[in-house]
Amino acid sequence: MAARRVAITGAGVVSPLGNSTAEFHRALAEGRSGIRRLADELARDSGVQVAGLVDWKPESMFTPAEAINIDRVAQFAIAAASQALDASALDLRTANRDRIGVYWGTGMGGAQTLDASFRRLYAEKEPRSRPLTVVMAMSNAAGSNVALRHGLRGPFANYSTACSSSAMALGEAMRTIAAGRADAIVAGGSEALLTLGTLGAWYALRTLAPADAADPAASCKPFDKRRSGLVLGEGAAAFVLEDESHARARGARILGFLTGYGNSCDAVHISRPDRAGQTRAMREALAEASLEPSAIGYINAHGTATMVGDVVEAEAVNAVFGEQSSASAVRVSSTKSLHGHLLGGAGALEFGVALLALEQGIVAPTGFLEQPDPACKLHHVPIKAQRIEPPRAVMSNSFAFGGSNVVLIAERP
Amino acid sequence: MDTLARIKALAAKEFSIDPNSVDPAAPLDALGIDSLSFIEFMFKVEEEFGISVSDEDLRGIKNLGDLERHVAAALAAAGKA
Repeated sequence: MAARRVAITGAGVVSPLGNSTAEFHRALAEGRSGIRRLADELARDSGVQVAGLVDWKPESMFTPAEAINIDRVAQFAIAAASQALDASALDLRTANRDRIGVYWGTGMGGAQTLDASFRRLYAEKEPRSRPLTVVMAMSNAAGSNVALRHGLRGPFANYSTACSSSAMALGEAMRTIAAGRADAIVAGGSEALLTLGTLGAWYALRTLAPADAADPAASCKPFDKRRSGLVLGEGAAAFVLEDESHARARGARILGFLTGYGNSCDAVHISRPDRAGQTRAMREALAEASLEPSAIGYINAHGTATMVGDVVEAEAVNAVFGEQSSASAVRVSSTKSLHGHLLGGAGALEFGVALLALEQGIVAPTGFLEQPDPACKLHHVPIKAQRIEPPRAVMSNSFAFGGSNVVLIAERP
Repeated sequence: MDTLARIKALAAKEFSIDPNSVDPAAPLDALGIDSLSFIEFMFKVEEEFGISVSDEDLRGIKNLGDLERHVAAALAAAGKA
């Protein structure tokens, strides 16, 4: 058990399902998908047909100069973090900002900047890159821009472990606060890599779903017999994590507590998931939270909709939670069907989905799950959101290329 | 538009400042332009005018008036002005 309890006091979202927690929650409750066709030229040149795209207007919060000097991944980060800080009602004018930090996660950092730089040199044969290329493209630029924007001078960290990056940022931030090293940390992650260069690389992996012929929004079908791979997405999610005593002293509204963090590495294969590694991470998170599996009322699965990955995760959940045939079994859904796979931002965004179940008892569904794969023996939440009595605790799984497994547990206040 | 006006217009866009209130003799840091911002700005100036300013010359530029003189000299050398 952590030395100090870590409260969640604010959340912010930039996503293919809307750019606020309210819009995000509404879309999840409606089971609506934000996946759509990529622009014709990008689709033709990259081979990738669909993605979870953010409807983004930089001018809504950035000057024209900022909009071109801050990479899209950092703009998402700043926007999500500002929402989270606003929601927390933490008064930064009076708070000790030496004790407030930023822990961020991103898979590729400033991919748009890097892509534009390479395009200049390779395609346009320009003699040099923009001078800001390095500081816009570096992996830590997103988190650093959040710290800069708000003058947050406490502990800083940036995690880059592919699809578990932002979940790891949340878990490590929890431990930093629990150890007494910060009063609060803005923790989360962002990704914005839907460029020709990156899409082309993903396409070559043969792991992306083609567009659903009848409905492009339905292209990602986790746990369904018809699933055909993942759909990439972009966006950000941020949370204000805070020492419980600090939050209570200022009368903050507490959304929940982050109490469990499991972290393991498969060390088996660079991309193929491993049931044992995932099982270890789930058990470690439960042990840290001092919870039995029965306390968990909802799991937001990693559920990318690859043929192998979904079965391995279902088996890992079965190994930890037991047989999943009864109606009382823990509900499991993968909302990547709706928002796509945010990669480095996925863990944080999906932790937000789990929090919706914890706070409001709204369990977001696995979209388009019409024909469950019998190899995935789970208590699914297909197509439509379900309303349940808010559970005592929820879990969010993030399993990454490289074998990194991160599991987070949040508990009711 | 003359050279200084074009530079002021670029600076106004890059740094969100009023071009009419820019003093060409004011030190760059007084305009809120730090060294990194200035290097990025110079990149845009060079693209705008189709010129190249050497690292050595760059170090001698302390305000927008200095910059105008370098740009004008470079344009003259290139036969563009």
